[in-house]
Amino acid sequence: MAVAVQGMGHSVKRKEDPRFLRGKGNYVDDLKLPGMLYMDILRSPYAHANIKGIDASRALAMPGVLAVVTGKDLDAAGLAWMPTLMSDKQMVLPVDRVVYQAQEVAAVIATERYIAADAITQIDVDYEPLTPVVDPIRALDPSSPLVRPDRENKTNHIWHWEAGDKEATDRLFEQAAVVAKEDIYIPRIHVCSIETCGCVASFDRINGKLTIWMTTQAPHAIRTVFSLVSGIPEHKIRVISPDIGGGFGGKVPVYPGYVIATVASLQTGRPVKWIEDRSENLQADSFARDYHITAELAADADGTMKALRVKTVADHGAFDAAANPSKFPAGLFSICTGSYDMQAAHVEVDGVYTNKPPGGVAYRCSFRVTEAVHAVERMVDSLALKLEMDPAELRLKNFIPPEKFPYKSATGWEYDSGNYPAALHKAMERIGYQDLRREQAEKRARGELMGIGISTFTEIVGAGPSHTFDILGIKMFDSCEIRIHPTGSAIVRIGVQTQGQGHETTFAQIAAEELGLPVANITVEHGDTDTAPYGLGTYASRSTPTAGAATAIAARKIREKGKLLAAHLLEASPDDVEWVDHQFQVKGDPSRAKTMADIAFAAYTNHPQGMEAGLEAVDYYDPPNLTFPFGAYICVVDIDRGTGEVKIRRFLAVDDCGNIINPMIVEGQIHGGLTMGMAPALLEEITYDEAGNIRQGTFMDYLLPTAMETPAWETDKTCTPSPHHPFGAKGVGESATVGAPPAIANAVVDALSHLGVTHMDIPIKPWMVYKVLEEHGLAQP
Amino acid sequence: MHFEGNETIQVPLQTVWDFFMDTQRVAACAPGFQRLEILAPDHFKPTVSVGIGPVKATFTLDVVLEDMRPPSHATMRGHGVAAGSAVDLVSQLDLSALSDSSTSLKWTMDATVTGTIASVGARLMESTAQKLTGRFFECISRQLGAAAAPH
Repeated sequence: MAVAVQGMGHSVKRKEDPRFLRGKGNYVDDLKLPGMLYMDILRSPYAHANIKGIDASRALAMPGVLAVVTGKDLDAAGLAWMPTLMSDKQMVLPVDRVVYQAQEVAAVIATERYIAADAITQIDVDYEPLTPVVDPIRALDPSSPLVRPDRENKTNHIWHWEAGDKEATDRLFEQAAVVAKEDIYIPRIHVCSIETCGCVASFDRINGKLTIWMTTQAPHAIRTVFSLVSGIPEHKIRVISPDIGGGFGGKVPVYPGYVIATVASLQTGRPVKWIEDRSENLQADSFARDYHITAELAADADGTMKALRVKTVADHGAFDAAANPSKFPAGLFSICTGSYDMQAAHVEVDGVYTNKPPGGVAYRCSFRVTEAVHAVERMVDSLALKLEMDPAELRLKNFIPPEKFPYKSATGWEYDSGNYPAALHKAMERIGYQDLRREQAEKRARGELMGIGISTFTEIVGAGPSHTFDILGIKMFDSCEIRIHPTGSAIVRIGVQTQGQGHETTFAQIAAEELGLPVANITVEHGDTDTAPYGLGTYASRSTPTAGAATAIAARKIREKGKLLAAHLLEASPDDVEWVDHQFQVKGDPSRAKTMADIAFAAYTNHPQGMEAGLEAVDYYDPPNLTFPFGAYICVVDIDRGTGEVKIRRFLAVDDCGNIINPMIVEGQIHGGLTMGMAPALLEEITYDEAGNIRQGTFMDYLLPTAMETPAWETDKTCTPSPHHPFGAKGVGESATVGAPPAIANAVVDALSHLGVTHMDIPIKPWMVYKVLEEHGLAQP
Repeated sequence: MHFEGNETIQVPLQTVWDFFMDTQRVAACAPGFQRLEILAPDHFKPTVSVGIGPVKATFTLDVVLEDMRPPSHATMRGHGVAAGSAVDLVSQLDLSALSDSSTSLKWTMDATVTGTIASVGARLMESTAQKLTGRFFECISRQLGAAAAPH
């Protein structure tokens, strides 16, 4: 190899880490502009109330307070409501009623952060409390109060969505020898990114340009929406998403704070900064999950799966402000047939309004895939119990066979590639599955409790083909622009936006591999709409499948021109020049070769007459299909009979994400994802009391995992490249978050299955386990 | 949240009733009492400061007395706001003479707390509210007992 490019497959140290490790990142709250004002938001103590009046006179009298913005002020400008990504509308500030606790009620603009925070306590709001709608099932009762009387449809039901073949499914259920059925609740949780949301909006009255530094995962889409809503021409809006301290889907929606700060800057002509505090972020920002699922799995007596039937009530809170592709109100939930070959499936979801903050963001998950995987992986174990069959054996019996790919699923997806038996066999061998089963039997005989849980999930990521996927009509392609400088270095600009995934490293590696330039010589830029090519942003594991592909294709376009330049320099016919080992060479003669650095120099200093100077390319990549990463996870738990505590003894994750760009980053993604998957299985949930108060309003009650609760993860891999992706990659950012929860839940149920337990809702808390032990006389005092 | 209690006070019924009609003295028993504004004999605004777990809040309450049946029954309805929090209270008071010199005091309190103080103090709210309510009625019993003691 002529040049040490460190392209695909190298564990290159992350280019972004020197600044992060030294505390030199540049986050929105680090930004300070001359004359900057500060905003703070007054939030509703009530889940449901009429607003009879707002008296801001005491706040306005405080020195340093410039303005108090209310819904009436915004209403006068036609901005009291804004569109959501799901064809609903959402209050920016309420005019006459609040619909969830911690909803924005008014905003103070002041010269200092602390003055703004003090001033919101001096605003008097006259509320008339209304009965809140807390339970989504009762919300569907016609006698329930209306959450959204502004809608034409006077019901709390938002939409009904279904996929699959109902008739064929029902028929298979009628004929089935065995049916397993469970009610599975997947609780409301919160992404809790380390950095809360915020922005600095700065309107320049001289040139009429609005610049917004914003914690967003999708800066271009935000720019377009802001332009359409405000009427400001799109070239006069610049959205900059600087370093982002974690997104996980929570920074895809547009929050009212962004809009209010922007209006305040337009009105004052000064920069306005808004940064949420931790409690505001936890209590008011978009939630994830909250699916009430009833699932049934039908099989023959020998365990051959026949059909899956799923009914779900989805609690969306007061506004349908989820961030799914437009045509998918329940996201990609219909992937719930998972890794199994079934004849038919039928999936229904009903979206419901309640007096809770808007929910349904894809928390480190490709649009409801976590919910789908949890449902099917729990059902497979439930069926195994019914059949008295080993859950691994049942899985191996029903996997989609490797030779059936590309595979058309019962709900209509075309799986690109997979080898599920290989992944599960690898996991079982490495963890010593049969030995663990023997150990479990011995322990049970002694009254000790251990469980082994398996999850063999399939994800669907990388949205998406533009014929099917759009967000507010904008097609879900993604982009890359590469410019090669004369001395053989390059800048790569991408339409996706990193929030910690390491794009500055991995995208440089993709370009390095394709261009033959050292990874150190490549800069990656993203997140600034004035410079980056248009893209839909980073979420749903879509960056590598879409913008990663665009990077490879843009580089290959450069290679096409490079080949002509090489032929010119080598005095050969282009047909006789080939790309071998990261350089151009005359066919059959490695001694006559030119590196990309040679080509770059020539592109600016010695290009042939008639050829355009320069060396650059752009690609907007529209993937032909989604990608389908998968994995086989095995979890071993021990149950403490004195406390009911679940201890994860071992957790092995065998992942298959196709070809890997940077193994170190992939491993990091999996470790983080497993911890984020363990959290909802054992710790995290958001619940509400009858008055609509959130019960976990701080980290004292919302149990984020720490190093203390996190076991030592074991990882391994298989590699089944995507056949349609330019370099065979599939995306891995979310696999572990999606795959881990059912492995843990299955392990706990497995530990208790001989006591008649077939299902436990997550998070499985010690008291829940202890209660089971107590009922069976197994609890130790 | 619903709380209730039953106290026997060694004071005649009318004295207990008169005490309850003395807003200044009743309000002084409210936990964290700071000040009182009397708008009418059956309408007043006490300000109280309470802490639940890590949160401290100063509530200004708007209290009205309703359904007055001297000397045996009164309903107190209160609505209070603090920064980011609100509380709604309904308390029923039933007095009956056990003898010429002793009175049975039965009370109920229904409280709805919303906002920051509820969301941040969720785990501690019920026990704190119960403690504060109990303290209020204990204080009243004590005051009445002291009043009845021989001078």
